[in-house]
Amino acid sequence: MFFIRRFIVRLGSMVATLAVMSFLIFFLVELMPGDVAQMVLGQNSTPEGLASLRESMGLNDPFLVRYWRWFSGLLQGDLGESLYMRGVAINSILWRKVGHSLVLAITALLFYVPLSIFFGVVAGVRAGKLSDQIISFFGLATMALPEFVSGVLFITLFSVKLKILPITSVIPIGESLWGNLNILILPALSITIVMFGYVSRMQRSSMIQVMDSDYVRAATLKGLPRRYVIFRHALKNALLPTITIIGMNMGWLFGGLIVVETLFGFPGLGSLTMSAIKTRDVPLIEACVLFITFIFVVSTLITDTLYGVLNPRVRLAKGVD
Amino acid sequence: MNHNIILDVQGLSVNYQTYYGTVSALRDVTFKLKEKQSLGIIGESGSGKSTLAFSIMNYLASNGSTDGNILYQGENILEKSEREMVGLRGNKIAMVYQNPYSSLNPSLTIGKQLDEVTIFHRNLSKKDARKESVAILKDLYLGDAEGLVKRFPHQISGGMQQRICIAMALLCRPDLMILDEPTTALDVTTEAVILDLINDLKKRYQMSMIYISHDMGVVNKVSDNIAVMYRGEVVEYGDKKSMFHKPEHPYTRALINCIPRSGIVKEEYRLNTIPGYVRKRSIDEGGCPFLDRCGKRVENCESRYGLREIAEDHFTACDRAFAKDVADDSLIPKKVDVIEKTEDGEALNIVNLYKTFNSRGKKVRAVDGLNFSLKKNNVLGIVGESGCGKSTLGYTVTGLLKPSKGKIYFDGTDISMTWKRRSPEVLKEIQLIFQNPGRSLNPSFTIEQIIGRPMKRLLGIKSKTERRERIIEILKQVDLGKEYLKRKATQLSGGEMQRVAVARAFVLSPGLIVCDEPTSALDVSVQSSVLNLLTDLQQRSGASYIFISHDLNVVNYISDYIMVMYLGRIVEFGKRDEVTSPPYHPYTEALLSAVPDVDPALTKGAVRLEGAPPNPTKKIKGCPFAGRCHKKIGEICENVTPEPVGFGEIHSIACHLYSAD
Repeated sequence: MFFIRRFIVRLGSMVATLAVMSFLIFFLVELMPGDVAQMVLGQNSTPEGLASLRESMGLNDPFLVRYWRWFSGLLQGDLGESLYMRGVAINSILWRKVGHSLVLAITALLFYVPLSIFFGVVAGVRAGKLSDQIISFFGLATMALPEFVSGVLFITLFSVKLKILPITSVIPIGESLWGNLNILILPALSITIVMFGYVSRMQRSSMIQVMDSDYVRAATLKGLPRRYVIFRHALKNALLPTITIIGMNMGWLFGGLIVVETLFGFPGLGSLTMSAIKTRDVPLIEACVLFITFIFVVSTLITDTLYGVLNPRVRLAKGVD
Repeated sequence: MNHNIILDVQGLSVNYQTYYGTVSALRDVTFKLKEKQSLGIIGESGSGKSTLAFSIMNYLASNGSTDGNILYQGENILEKSEREMVGLRGNKIAMVYQNPYSSLNPSLTIGKQLDEVTIFHRNLSKKDARKESVAILKDLYLGDAEGLVKRFPHQISGGMQQRICIAMALLCRPDLMILDEPTTALDVTTEAVILDLINDLKKRYQMSMIYISHDMGVVNKVSDNIAVMYRGEVVEYGDKKSMFHKPEHPYTRALINCIPRSGIVKEEYRLNTIPGYVRKRSIDEGGCPFLDRCGKRVENCESRYGLREIAEDHFTACDRAFAKDVADDSLIPKKVDVIEKTEDGEALNIVNLYKTFNSRGKKVRAVDGLNFSLKKNNVLGIVGESGCGKSTLGYTVTGLLKPSKGKIYFDGTDISMTWKRRSPEVLKEIQLIFQNPGRSLNPSFTIEQIIGRPMKRLLGIKSKTERRERIIEILKQVDLGKEYLKRKATQLSGGEMQRVAVARAFVLSPGLIVCDEPTSALDVSVQSSVLNLLTDLQQRSGASYIFISHDLNVVNYISDYIMVMYLGRIVEFGKRDEVTSPPYHPYTEALLSAVPDVDPALTKGAVRLEGAPPNPTKKIKGCPFAGRCHKKIGEICENVTPEPVGFGEIHSIACHLYSAD
């Protein structure tokens, strides 16, 4: 019961966060230099033309009125129209890209989560031994390697030398992502390289801590085989901090892959945001950033919930008897 | 080879390679354990008793190295591989630990953690294993065993958790059970129940037992023989009666004499102390481990030293406990001069005090309507199980917490607010000494800074030289030299740290000091000297103490008045001797009879409290103790809150037993 109530409270605070964030985003984009009407009409516009466009777009209204117009549109599911691509509804651009980003994020997640948890556990259990030293060194090295460097290395190796994967992750016109799944591999690998260090090191240190705990000692002295002690007694508890780290990075993974998507030309949310910023497409920037915020908030909620499921001390209220 | 010898430890030594060099944790430990025999091992922290236990399980840290043999049923455990040990551990040799809460896996159900033992050792199916688990819980008198196996460890009380751990150890009917301080983390009432259970199980399961504890009283209750360990060596071994009444080793005798026990009170005796503290032992240090603290040492100690059998089954490394050539200063506790007390006025007056916490939307009544006063120049001991509100009371008096309702008066001044709103004069007057000095003293400050800071803030002494003079003076009063000024807390031993904490409190010459379990974290040999110090300073300064402790013997020693708390209320209040003798509140009676006696010849009443205090979030209509009371009269106890009934001047008991007539 307590657990459900906690979930509802979290849900409420999530909605509140989003409302506050929408205001902040609108306000910050407002501060950006440049005149929207000028941007739309270009260099050759007349002052009269600009004035009438400002009037028709409602740009002369007070800030709060404009915010409310935008926000009430949001509540009805209307994200507005793109400025750069005149008259195209943002809804028709954004969701397709979000779908692509989602597929990429899930692919990357499937790559790096099992890999880094496995090696983190191995390193933690064998702390101080050679295998731990190799894994830890590799983790540190990849952490220091920016994704555009590892991305270029991968392109050189797999696309230029071996010619087994496409150089860019562009979907040919008229085709969908599903027919071109091989374009996911290189970006996902680059993300894996970035995340591996963080996640495996977190897993390693929490594993060391748990292996040193009283209950793992007790399990060993109950005469349980070591493998069983590691996987049944230690791992479930040692996963908790790692899940927090993975959850915290989920927002970045879904919406913040600007560098990786730009490098590979992948048609996702990151490259959409990038081009929106480049073209000063204000409504599109607002929509993208708000969606990224949404992803961050939702992933935090999922992390918290998952944490509760794995940890009975959170799930079950204390002092039942 | 004697058939009924189950464990034969021969010349066992354990060394640890550390950053500071090789430390000797065990040295030449030799003893035999027969079938069905129980051996108690007593020792202070650092004596190597836990290392011994883990050596028997062949489970030592990777920086440890062993020498000697541990023969279990004739086979050397130390030569067994990890795979061979898996078959022994939990199956033939089982272990129970000090802290049941951290020894159970928080994310697995109790049933799962029990089942896996029989699944692995006896190849039972999951279903049969569960049956076996439920059966063993019933065997340990745990009601609702079927419901219990579905719970998680954090959902049950500490006493229940420890019984689960004991059940887990018994699942494969081991030949040998090792219990490492199994009741140290528990309340005295729960401890008594667990000790009874252990005694009962020992008979029913016919197993050998090694019981490790720092508490002589506890070991007496469950052991046939006792081994006393000091700095890695067994210094004396024998049956418990002769060990208590005629100890041969000076350390055994000093240890027995320094424990406060029933009948020893501050007006009549000073506690015996052992000077110094337990030092780590390097590999090169030979000879008698107790030499530097021994009151009986003579020149030829080194050559005479060594474990030998002096009577059947009685071994000792030294027999100078009662040697006459060195004057005895520890035979009986010395008489002290009773300092005439001046009792003018009340130091503390508490009127209708409540403290309620909010926990997940529910109200926890930690302090639930207290009324009492404490005269100046007196010590009030507060006892009760954990969760009875004794620490909360201390925190509201010192201003760390704000009372929810009611008034606290100090020397006539209203102080029912937090420390932030109290005047500097009041802050100076009320001081606090915490349980764990290692955590309450800032590790990055020097002793001079720790003691000097409140002097600067509250006494307004600006001159550094003046402060330093006063600090040196107060350090002298707590038996510390001025070389301590520049040291940091982490460089001191536990006893020294607590002395610094005492000095920090006393340097302000306060009128009231709240001592929250000040000796609980200390070894017994250090505890007595801190208790002596606290008594001396109190009598010299005329300050009052609120002395909170779970240890009734300690409270009995130091207090003038005793207050017994249960679930945030006072159940009994009175002068020390009034509270510790009849008429009792039934709860006081249960507490007193739960305290294990140091003298094995003494046996006490057997009032045992089952279960735990009721949930403090529930509003209780009648007497809070009614559910566990052995003297419950009837419905009146459940429905009517008992009012305190006066006996004599101050003594009062809140119980219907006495209000009925």
